[in-house]
Amino acid sequence: MEGKALGLWKDWRLHAVVLAIVIVTELIGQHSISIGAGIILLLPMLYAVIIGISIYFTPIVTKKQSENAETLVYITLTLLIAKFGVQAGPALPQLIAAGPALILQELGNLGTILIALPIAVLLGLKRESIGMTHSIGREANLALITDKFGLSSPEGRGVMSMYIFGTVFGSIFIGLASGFLATTLPLHPYSFAMATGIGSGSMTAAALGPLVAAFPDMADTITAFSGASNLLTSVTGLYASILIGLPLTEKFYKVLTKRREKNSAENMMASKLDAESNVGVITEKVTDDTKSKVVK
Amino acid sequence: MLKNIQEWILLFIIVSVMVAVGNWIGYEVMPLEALPGILALVGISLVGLILHRVNPYKGIPSIAYIGILAFIVTIPGVPGAEQIVEWTSKVNLLAIATPILAYAGISIGRSWADFAKLGWKTIIVGMFVLLGTYLGSAVIAEILLRMQGII
Repeated sequence: MEGKALGLWKDWRLHAVVLAIVIVTELIGQHSISIGAGIILLLPMLYAVIIGISIYFTPIVTKKQSENAETLVYITLTLLIAKFGVQAGPALPQLIAAGPALILQELGNLGTILIALPIAVLLGLKRESIGMTHSIGREANLALITDKFGLSSPEGRGVMSMYIFGTVFGSIFIGLASGFLATTLPLHPYSFAMATGIGSGSMTAAALGPLVAAFPDMADTITAFSGASNLLTSVTGLYASILIGLPLTEKFYKVLTKRREKNSAENMMASKLDAESNVGVITEKVTDDTKSKVVK
Repeated sequence: MLKNIQEWILLFIIVSVMVAVGNWIGYEVMPLEALPGILALVGISLVGLILHRVNPYKGIPSIAYIGILAFIVTIPGVPGAEQIVEWTSKVNLLAIATPILAYAGISIGRSWADFAKLGWKTIIVGMFVLLGTYLGSAVIAEILLRMQGII
């Protein structure tokens, strides 16, 4: 992507708009909303993405700026990655100590399949659900599914819709959810830090921000763990999808739909609604089983 | 290649200004105080981008070069490590994240029409996809960190 970076510095209009967004959002500063025991953190970066989207619909920026912005995301992201790295160096002893957790939590990225696939099938989605839930559906996964099924296949439509969802809503959603989950669930901030490496730079930044803001005392270690996890995911993510994620999704999809078919056959007389609620119970059972396996 | 490096440097100058301004307004670090840290991060990123460009094997993403390089130069005992750590500690992570997401927002606007066409089922599944990977990883990390007695 960096190959396209020619003449982008001249797009003063884009840079001026972003500078203005940075000034305004940092002046607004950080706010928080308490919901029950949890806290939703509103950070400048969250306002920045929302203001950015809104500005696209004003005459201030055109499609050209929007296209140029994509490369700028990448260039700026390299600074964040460098920041991750310089936090990780001094934390080397902690990283080594936490090595097993760091490596094995990569398998947690398969959680998309165990949680989202049953829901997709329950909602009546067909093979689209394979494309949607085999991973978080970023560029590399788009390429993988296109390669295997073609972009116009049901799987291709699924991964494409997830790509669009993640692009537009991903960082906003994970940014809001991250702070809330970290303040409500009884899991340690370090565990969440390791979970932020989900395979998308801007989503990692959005998930990490609230953790750093909510636990300032642990900010250094949180950033180091997040950086290491992000790095691991960026290197291993695609291979994990090819070797484990996609085959597992297809198998699990078959299991889920087979039960569904069997059920509807057994309940020939029952209404479609009943059959669907049966599937609901079964899929819930399946997720429960897999969950208890993980806990054991 | 040279043209690329020149372009990267110009872009890094622009982005550095944004980080410095955000770092100043939001986290009260004077731009001059943050400058050495920003320069260090830019230097590391630039070297990483160049390494990725010159290596004919493209299987390693450029952010991997950058992350590993930044990691190596700050390992305790490496010459200059302490200095880089001290400089870069003045650059707040959130001050870097804000311009990223501002650029991302403008870039995302283009996909809005497609997003609006997605059905409610996709939106629900999408949220569970993200929650699934986030919670899945957090739960596994929690179990292992507890088993090891780290937390």
